[in-house]
Amino acid sequence: MPTREGRHKRTSRETGPSSKRIPSGKRKPSLKKKGPGRFETESVGRVGELKLAYTKRDHRTIISHAYFTTPWKLLPPIYLDDTGAAYTLLVNPSGGLVGGDYLSIDMNVEQDAHVLISAPSANRVYRTEGKVSEQHVNITVGSGAVLEWFPEHTIPFAGSRFRQVLQATLAPGATLLLWDAVASGRIASGERWAFTDLENSIQITTASGSTLLERYVLDPSTDLGCVGLAEEWNYVASFYVVNDATSAEVWTGLESKIAEILDARPGEVLGGVSAGPVPGLAVKVLTRTATDLTAMLDALWAAVREGLWNLPPVSLRKY
Amino acid sequence: MNTSALLEGLRFVDTFFPSGGYAFSSGLEAAVQGGAVKTSDQLAGYIEDLLRGGMSRREALATKRANRAGATGQISVALAIDRTLEATKLSRASRLASRQMGRQVIRVAADQIREKPILAAYRDEIDAERAPGHLAITFGLTLGAAGWSQEDTAAAFLYQTAVGFVSAAMRLSPLGQHEGQRILGEWLPLIERISRDVDSDTAMSSWSPVQDIYAMRHGALEWRLFRS
Repeated sequence: MPTREGRHKRTSRETGPSSKRIPSGKRKPSLKKKGPGRFETESVGRVGELKLAYTKRDHRTIISHAYFTTPWKLLPPIYLDDTGAAYTLLVNPSGGLVGGDYLSIDMNVEQDAHVLISAPSANRVYRTEGKVSEQHVNITVGSGAVLEWFPEHTIPFAGSRFRQVLQATLAPGATLLLWDAVASGRIASGERWAFTDLENSIQITTASGSTLLERYVLDPSTDLGCVGLAEEWNYVASFYVVNDATSAEVWTGLESKIAEILDARPGEVLGGVSAGPVPGLAVKVLTRTATDLTAMLDALWAAVREGLWNLPPVSLRKY
Repeated sequence: MNTSALLEGLRFVDTFFPSGGYAFSSGLEAAVQGGAVKTSDQLAGYIEDLLRGGMSRREALATKRANRAGATGQISVALAIDRTLEATKLSRASRLASRQMGRQVIRVAADQIREKPILAAYRDEIDAERAPGHLAITFGLTLGAAGWSQEDTAAAFLYQTAVGFVSAAMRLSPLGQHEGQRILGEWLPLIERISRDVDSDTAMSSWSPVQDIYAMRHGALEWRLFRS
């Protein structure tokens, strides 16, 4: 790792090579070495690493370090407006995760940088006979930096097994907008809540040490792991807005605005907002359709951008 | 459990105990006003779902682990699980309600069960704002110190919670006492299973998005009987 990291260090607009080597010393739970060379071959496209560091330079945020292995791909950042914020799409051209896949993202948004993250399509998790599909995300947001994390929702297919662990650590004055959504399944195909198990863990830690933890484990075949009342809904989303330097007055105004948005589609959208256990707001949303989910995302995101920074919404150029 | 331990612990389970729980509905009031709970069957389903998905691997797990800390005097175990529980409570009203009730329990317990120094030590941690002091933790610590088993402590906590919901429902709807007892009786097998099956050594988790949302919505209600 040091060799490759050193090679790509501090190169702006870096897209990095698609290395097929698997770093040693990391936990790759589903891959067993069966003989000389087998380990690497079996790992290709299944153990994917994406490492990104963003730096603010001359009023613009650039990718100062990038490293990725298949299936991750990286495109140069896009600048959607004149704020200098770098917009990156998380691109996994393999189309989704199969059992045994282990994808990781390490993201470091350095001091005063501003980054928008999304993905070109939903995160599909395919049926598996046994092994879990895993995604691990580690995020660090530096002092005064902003990360707007808005990936597409996850679709757990019938019989799939998915585990996501996302950890974000914020420095003083850092801002995190984090959206995370899960569908009940391939709804158009009649698959709803038919996965084998699904575990999702989101942990946000601020500079003071205060922590927000959302962790659920759904294993519908068990007594304590069933989906329950949420079964009548098709999408479940969480939205967290965290910053330890924003005044209580701003949060109160934003909370009222978000509550209005959540009440706009009674019967079709059920949502709540509250001051969370870390400085900022926690929002939970249930919708019946992807259209409503997207509308909620857009409206909530726009409200926060306006409320915190007086900035207009951005168009992510996804059609 | 011997009779002495039973009686010592029962005081904290009894609704006569001044925890202030009567002031909180944990989102039930918002659910009733929002139309999610209109009948006794809907109430039964709503709370059963909350006990199973929302509280089993969170509060019941925390109560068990705190019980062990109370029995063994390991304050660091209680502190850790208390902070984790705080991190999982997304609704401000529910978070504050749990902390307020938790403080009432530990204050009485620390004053009256003096042979267990962990209770006074934990009260001091809460007063110094080094511990949130959630009800599941102080309740578990207290009953663990009183000699109750983990399983019995978790069952008592869930039973107390269930009684609180029935009591709140009786004030929010035409639910009568007889019907309330019927619903409570239907929950007992689930409470028993949760108390027995939850592994206190696993990571804490919770899944009750519908109830979580109603708990968040409580603060925006135009008129309120309850504080959460």
